[in-house]
Amino acid sequence: MENLLSIALNSVFVGNILLAYFLGMCSFLAVSKKMETATGLGFAVIFVLAITTPTNWIIYHYLLAPGALSWAGLPAADISFLKFIIFIAVIAAMVQIVEMVIDRFSPALYTALGVFLPLIAVNCAILGTSLFMVERNYTFTESLVFGISSGTGWMLAIVSMAAIRKKLRYADVPEGLEGFGITMIVTGLMAMSFMLFSGITL
Amino acid sequence: MKIIKNIFDSQRKHFDKRGKWEKFYPVFEATETFFFIPDHVTQKGPHVRDSLDVKRFMSFVILALMPPLFFGIYNTGYQSNLVSGLPLDFFTVFSKGLSIVLPLIIVSYAVGFFWEFLFAIIRKHPISEGLLVTGLLFPLTLPPTIPLWQAAAGISFGVVIGKEIFGGTGRNFLNPALTGRAFIFFAYPGKMSGDSVWTVMSSVKTSAVDTFSGATPLAIASITETYGNIEASLSKAGFTFSTLFWGNHTGSIGETSSFLCLIGAMILIVVGVASYKIIIGGVLGALITGGLLNLIATEASMPWLSLNPFYHLVMGGFAFGIAYMATDPVSAPGMETAKWVYGFAIGALTILIRVFNPAYPEGVMLSILFMNLFAPLLDHFEIKVRLRRRIANV
Repeated sequence: MENLLSIALNSVFVGNILLAYFLGMCSFLAVSKKMETATGLGFAVIFVLAITTPTNWIIYHYLLAPGALSWAGLPAADISFLKFIIFIAVIAAMVQIVEMVIDRFSPALYTALGVFLPLIAVNCAILGTSLFMVERNYTFTESLVFGISSGTGWMLAIVSMAAIRKKLRYADVPEGLEGFGITMIVTGLMAMSFMLFSGITL
Repeated sequence: MKIIKNIFDSQRKHFDKRGKWEKFYPVFEATETFFFIPDHVTQKGPHVRDSLDVKRFMSFVILALMPPLFFGIYNTGYQSNLVSGLPLDFFTVFSKGLSIVLPLIIVSYAVGFFWEFLFAIIRKHPISEGLLVTGLLFPLTLPPTIPLWQAAAGISFGVVIGKEIFGGTGRNFLNPALTGRAFIFFAYPGKMSGDSVWTVMSSVKTSAVDTFSGATPLAIASITETYGNIEASLSKAGFTFSTLFWGNHTGSIGETSSFLCLIGAMILIVVGVASYKIIIGGVLGALITGGLLNLIATEASMPWLSLNPFYHLVMGGFAFGIAYMATDPVSAPGMETAKWVYGFAIGALTILIRVFNPAYPEGVMLSILFMNLFAPLLDHFEIKVRLRRRIANV
């Protein structure tokens, strides 16, 4: 239990997937203009992560990992080099499902998210979380908690970014820095403030 | 006064529209209003939320900064002469402190105003008095041994990246002075933390002290290893509660005296610049978190956990940060309940970082920057809640 809590806190604050590893930047920069879309995409990312990370765990541990195929009589097989392509395929399929669900239940959010919803499929935060899960040897429950809390960390970042950008509407940014330029700088400053937690070992 | 007025009046035509130095009008305007009250005063506040004139606003903050500033000068000189074995009478000490602190302040103002003037001229916005505060707050958060060029780099980062690229005073979202400090904290850690940066050693070392420990109270507290003993090891090193409160000990220039920060906070609250909600929220956050940690402290746990929470208030930069930095009305939330949450979170995070994060002995600076990030979000939520309530009442 304590272990799970430390994974959760770790991936929300200390190793925030966005502000410490800079994964998932493209949709973070593009969709943080409005609070509503940012919140919507945040929940979508949490949801996708909560499904894909454990699914990928199962696939990895029963199909891909070295020696995983021993149940099929192939104890020497090691097809873990396939993990990238398989993980991406799983993520793409899951995103498709999420897209259909959002389209069905919240058409407004669906139109607002537009192209960025299918783009979750190539959101590096999603693939990154699955790969971290493999690298850190998490168990099934741990990978579930890790997925959800990585998504929560990502959502925390994008929602506070949306609020900051709302405040920055009153700002008078030099011409060359308008739009993405200033957003990148704000992201950097956010990452600097998140250094508050760096060094904590949980 | 008449003479100065005449100078300005005779030069004004060069700076007006189509004058030969039209471009430099902001410089002229800033210099003039430094001496005289302008005909035009700011109609709106430094940011949409307040109706105080910017100049008055900033002069009050400067006034409130005077006690820690003068004590900081005295204390820097005192600590330096103490370890160098030099005489400790008031004038020697004060002039010594002045010779250390004044260059820092001059560099901070000169470099800061250089950037402010540059942006004002190129972007044609008036020069704002916000820098008078930033330029004074910034050196007060530095250790006295900091090289001047690092101070210059810090204030440049704080003014340009922390403020000017967002359009100047009132439009930034992080506290510029702390942004600059955080920058040099990460860029030159060797000069910003550790045991040797807090006291200036005189090169003319006459006698007496061969070895001294320049450790700050926070550093001593974090290396204490036995349970329930931090108070004891602090007072063994000469830091009793009252030393810590009155401020006659090592540390960043302006932060040492909690008492004077308290006076400064009072001034700020009375004149309406700082929100008492943030300050009280912060103190409560620190005390409650410290108290809760006391409850879970056992013989086996870190000795930090068992420290009397009141010590947290007087150690390190907590008092200075919560009085002058957290209350910066630009980067703090504007809604009333949000201010309580904001202050409380700063206090609580500071204690948690001090206790649990081995990377930093102090957590005030980054806690305030961290909560600056979430200030707009807190505002957003409070507005949402209030709107919902309003519709329900209709």
